[in-house]
Amino acid sequence: MNLIVERSDVLPLVTLGITFRAGRADEPTGRAGLARATAQMVRRGAGGALNVEHRLDRIGAELSEHVGLGATTFSCEVLARSLEPAAALLTELLEAPCTDEEELGRVVRQGKAALVQGRDDDSMLCSRALRRHLFAGHPHGDRVLGSLEGLDAIVAADVAAFGARHYTAANAVVHVSGAISVADADRVAARLVDALPAGAAIPYPAPPPTPPNGRRLVIVNKQQRQQTQLGIGTLGADVRDDDYFALLAANAVFGGTFTSRLMREIRSERGWSYGASSSLTVGRVREAFTMWTAPAVEDAADCLALELELLEAWHRDGISDQELSQCQSFLVGSHAFEIDTPAKRLQQKLERFLLELPEDFHDRYLERLAAVTRDDANAAIRRHIHPDDLWIACVADADDMQSELSEACGALAECVVESVDVP
Amino acid sequence: MRHIDSFPFGPALNIERHRLDNGLDVLIVADPSAPVVSYQTWFSVGSRHERAGKTGIAHLFEHLMFNETENLPLGEYDRRLEEAGADNNAATFLDWTYYLINLPQAALPLAVELESERMSRLVLAEAQLESEREVVANERRETVEDDVDGSINELLFLTAFEEHSYRFPTIGLMNDIVGLSVADCRAFYRTHYAPNNAKLVVVGDVRRDELLRLIDTHYGPIPRATLAAEQVQHEPPQRAERRVQIDKPTETARLTVGYRSPAMAHPHHVPLTLLNEVLFGGRGSRVYRALVEDTEIASDADGFVGNFRDPSLWEIHVIGSDDVTPQALVTALDDVLEQIAEQPIDEDELQRAQNRLELSSLQDLETASGKAEAIGFSEVVLGEPAALLTRLDDYRATTVADLQRVAAEVLRPDQRTLIEITPTRSS
Repeated sequence: MNLIVERSDVLPLVTLGITFRAGRADEPTGRAGLARATAQMVRRGAGGALNVEHRLDRIGAELSEHVGLGATTFSCEVLARSLEPAAALLTELLEAPCTDEEELGRVVRQGKAALVQGRDDDSMLCSRALRRHLFAGHPHGDRVLGSLEGLDAIVAADVAAFGARHYTAANAVVHVSGAISVADADRVAARLVDALPAGAAIPYPAPPPTPPNGRRLVIVNKQQRQQTQLGIGTLGADVRDDDYFALLAANAVFGGTFTSRLMREIRSERGWSYGASSSLTVGRVREAFTMWTAPAVEDAADCLALELELLEAWHRDGISDQELSQCQSFLVGSHAFEIDTPAKRLQQKLERFLLELPEDFHDRYLERLAAVTRDDANAAIRRHIHPDDLWIACVADADDMQSELSEACGALAECVVESVDVP
Repeated sequence: MRHIDSFPFGPALNIERHRLDNGLDVLIVADPSAPVVSYQTWFSVGSRHERAGKTGIAHLFEHLMFNETENLPLGEYDRRLEEAGADNNAATFLDWTYYLINLPQAALPLAVELESERMSRLVLAEAQLESEREVVANERRETVEDDVDGSINELLFLTAFEEHSYRFPTIGLMNDIVGLSVADCRAFYRTHYAPNNAKLVVVGDVRRDELLRLIDTHYGPIPRATLAAEQVQHEPPQRAERRVQIDKPTETARLTVGYRSPAMAHPHHVPLTLLNEVLFGGRGSRVYRALVEDTEIASDADGFVGNFRDPSLWEIHVIGSDDVTPQALVTALDDVLEQIAEQPIDEDELQRAQNRLELSSLQDLETASGKAEAIGFSEVVLGEPAALLTRLDDYRATTVADLQRVAAEVLRPDQRTLIEITPTRSS
């Protein structure tokens, strides 16, 4: 049994969770949204959705189901005095998820409504467009919510098959944090795992993604905008790469803190965007390096051009010793906030398990970060980030802005205009 | 520096209140569970202090507080905190503005130095104001102009209030933001940023005596100000339902309703908060169940009781499914609300609501920052720093009869404002 425990008696709360190594990337072709629908059907088991919700409320518990690309987590935060009934309910749900077609129909309709409602969120539209193209043809480009067509195609047998294959003891890790003894954690974890079939560990189905080739622009066409959401992305480093920490430190200088180059140039000096940042995503395969801003429509082209100039300068000239030292101080000093609650400490251990990181990954985190030199950082930028090979995503009125946004990008290999209803 | 009093804050912690001669209250919770500290400064100033034509100044001023001071060049405030591993931010709302620094324990002296510096020695210049006006204008575009929920909420308050400054959006109206001057900002600073209008809240791994000495050294010399009497207008009684019907570039219909609700300190606020849980708290609540699960007329429904110093609104937000009209959402919502009289709230529903609130209150206290926010907010709005936890006893003491009474009093059509949004798709 895989079990992670983080104890703390500071508050009379316990979080009991179970994570399966299965998510959107594990869905069969044509069933986009199945992983999420399967998780939601678990929550509707044990005597039906209303019964489950009332039982949770009656004992002071909150159950969440989170589905990602490579993992599904059921997490129940509960008043410590109600741990036993919470564990019993979660066990029942895993043992007997809902299989009713009518309930599945409701889950599918709610999933489709969430897809439609998401079109109101410009930031999400931009992020979706960027990932859809950056990871084109790869599971990491797919949306966890699925698609209207994929959801419509799901039947109860698909849900049952996905659950039977992935919600197994061999594919699970139980995690418990808060005001609970190790002995009690062992006991409730064993109860959860005993409710599962033994199963087999499933290898991650997604291969390493292919980096983009050439500079490419996608415009999500939306009228009546006062602001343009802008995303720029390419592949970053794999978290298991030797130079991952070097790129992490270099990114902090570029766009990872409030005093970073992006914030200084775009927000502090020009006031062009409320936020300006860059980040590295981690995953079970190499993931994205992305930049985000949201300038007013009239500043969008200039802002985009400036971001690309800053990216080119970062790649060409690297970072200075002073910048590196400043960011290392921040990253090392602020690490205390990565481990200041049992839930955060637990999350680190869970991440290590899910991403199959080395046993000492978090123990050596600060040491490896502090050991990064300027040469390491600059070499990592040049190795991983190529300013001429990236995707740029904008949410804008294409009729008005396509020309100026294209011009701001420099030499473009491709420009695509899409509707908001592309999932 | 005088010790004023102490209050229990849950079973294991205590809040100590100390006061400087200049009127600055210092609220300390020593919590050694992690080597971190949250250092927060709460000012009793928010958009309630604004007037027509100058809306948004409390929030814009919050942005300016991160700029130059007499002893710190531009950018130095953030740079020094980052170098120490600290994270900082701020927030402004109707009744308050607060500044927070979350920092490793060893960096606490730096927080005391920097926060005392900007409380009294901020430099306000045109160049910084110009840049921050643009930043705030962009923040407004992101959260109001291009955000359907933000724009509906703004319209709700502008419609529901006629006199009280709660009608103004905290971020400010665009024309006002771009028109704010350095002179406006200087006057605002002099009027509201003073030790006797602030509460310092420090939670975490602190050594109390050393901290108090530091605070005394850095804040002690700051003079108290003569605070002007508040000029907040009383809101006249609402006599009839208000209804606004508009089109928005959104995918589905939306309905937002604001019922007049009591101030947070009013005895009815507790039963109303419980009633909100019965109706909107989670997927088993009455309204969510009826609109989202049973009839599927809506894809989401939630409610929030305003927690402000003065009477405000009980906000209800419903997002329609497919081609449902906003009028159909009103009918469906009213059906559930009217059922309260015919199908009274039972003991089981009340107990579920009480448990949900107990859980969410404890969840708010998981970090040092969460504890400090709970204390600062309760102190500024209610004058009771431990109110988040003492209110749990009030929830437990509330009966179903209390909920029925408050439902009958609040859920009256003539006491509500409706914003009905018909979608005009944006692509």
